[in-house]
Amino acid sequence: MSEQSSYRVISLRGELDISRKAEIGAALQIAGPGPAVLVDLSDVQYADSTIIAEMLRFREDARRCGRRLAVLIGDPRFRRVLQYAGLESAFALFEDRGAALTYLSAAETT
Amino acid sequence: MKVAAAVLAAIVIVVIVAGTLVRSYTRAAFANEQRATGARALAYDALQYQLDEETAVRGYAATHNDAFLDPYAAATSALPATLRALRDAAAALKLPVAADAASDAAATNSAWLQDVVQPLLARRTDALPIEKRGKDLVDHYRADMRTVQDAVSARKQALDEATETAIDRLNGFVLLVAIAIVALGIAFGVQQTRLANDLAAKEREAAQLAAAYETEKRLAETLQDAFVQRPLPVLPAVSFSATYVPATEEAKVGGDWYDALELGRDRVMFVIGDVAGHGLEAAVAMNRARQALVTAAIVDPDPARLLARVNRELLHQRVRMVTAVCGYADARTFEFTYATAGHPPPVLVEPGRPPRMLHVGGLPLAVVDDPEYVTHTVQSVPGAMLVLYTDGAVEHSRDVLAGEETLLAAIRSASDARAGNPAAAIHSTIFDQHAVGDDVAIMTVAFVSGAHAGGEGDAAIVAAGARGAPDGVRGTIVSLGDAVSRLRERAARRRGRLAS
Repeated sequence: MSEQSSYRVISLRGELDISRKAEIGAALQIAGPGPAVLVDLSDVQYADSTIIAEMLRFREDARRCGRRLAVLIGDPRFRRVLQYAGLESAFALFEDRGAALTYLSAAETT
Repeated sequence: MKVAAAVLAAIVIVVIVAGTLVRSYTRAAFANEQRATGARALAYDALQYQLDEETAVRGYAATHNDAFLDPYAAATSALPATLRALRDAAAALKLPVAADAASDAAATNSAWLQDVVQPLLARRTDALPIEKRGKDLVDHYRADMRTVQDAVSARKQALDEATETAIDRLNGFVLLVAIAIVALGIAFGVQQTRLANDLAAKEREAAQLAAAYETEKRLAETLQDAFVQRPLPVLPAVSFSATYVPATEEAKVGGDWYDALELGRDRVMFVIGDVAGHGLEAAVAMNRARQALVTAAIVDPDPARLLARVNRELLHQRVRMVTAVCGYADARTFEFTYATAGHPPPVLVEPGRPPRMLHVGGLPLAVVDDPEYVTHTVQSVPGAMLVLYTDGAVEHSRDVLAGEETLLAAIRSASDARAGNPAAAIHSTIFDQHAVGDDVAIMTVAFVSGAHAGGEGDAAIVAAGARGAPDGVRGTIVSLGDAVSRLRERAARRRGRLAS
């Protein structure tokens, strides 16, 4: 299995708030076991509690399906929001895409 | 029932009036017909009397037998009255032609009696001219009578037709009245049925409205509970202040709360929390979380275990995600212990030191099964103040790092100014007339300097300071009460629309 097809990318940008709840909820919806997922939030500056809740639900779904997740972040403001929310320890957070992919592929071989 | 009675009365009145009209019309028609019939009989008599006169006169002229003169005398005495009666009857029937003819006939008969009968009875010899004159006058008389008869017959026929029409009309009217009564009866029955149905529907609607009202009332009360923050304890050693300002937009109500619970003279439990989203569902979740936290705090003094317990309970209740900080302040040891669940970090201000943000960690409540919470213990000093707040206080610009700077600066200035209500001072410094896009709750918990050494005298001062705190809270409650009133008004308007 090639590294390209072994993971899926979900990319969200901008400010993630309640007005985008439906869009983000749909994006964070993966049926069945599926491959590992890279959640690319490197262009996100802010997420409100509604979206934090969506992310946690997504994490719970992935955990039940045994799916690995890596979250790519770029903005220190967003990192702080995730820290508040206790998500720093709940997600595998990366600021480097290569590192995130290495984590995902390593996870797959184990 | 009133309508039915009115309809019935109207029918009766119509029937009576119509019946009277028909009766008078019919009576007039019958009277005219009687008159016409009488006129015809009179005309017949007039012809007959004249024939009797002529027959008698001719018989006497031929035989000179006096016996012939008896019928002559009878006819001659009766004829003028008969012709007068005929004339009057014709006039009564509004037949001027016939009346004139009757008068003319009387004159003709008089002329005949004078010019023909008198000479014949006198046995005059000039018989031929008299015969000629007699024929003319008799023809004239008979023509008059024909005129009268034709006119009366025409009138009688017209009257017959009119009577027939009247009878037809009467029949038609009776039929119409019968139809109307039947139709009204049916309509009345239908109306009664519909009224009964309407009544049943109205009763159902009323029951639904009552149920809807109860639901709305309950919801409004839930909201009211959600809005009204509990009064903060007044203690000699620990002082509180708090403010809660809901989002400016009316739709964004509920969500944030704070509580402080007195656990003895020197120990308090404090909690601040925020439910994701806004509106009724958030308010309900908030009330449950709030209740669960305060209840758990009584049985478990460890903040991390307390949060874990509350998480299980809220997960079970399937409420929305909740973030919270809960902890204890002990005025004997000047120790804060706390744990956080997805909530922004508390800020600690100690005398002579810049405010600092404390550690955070745990996941929000009501989302995952087994989150790990950590109890943090901070050894502090008299005069230290812990500032708790909800995310609206730092996320208003959506730049959390900038928001933190603003918050820390506001806390520092409130602390330096020894504000009577630090929470309100912090809020007003941060928002300084800006519209607030999210709910913001701020609560401070402070160890009173020298409270233990000072005893009762200082306690009074502290109590006064603490009493200053609810002012901001009370103002908030008033505005929240308004929000609930508006909700209730909207509900009432909906009910109004439903009922109309």
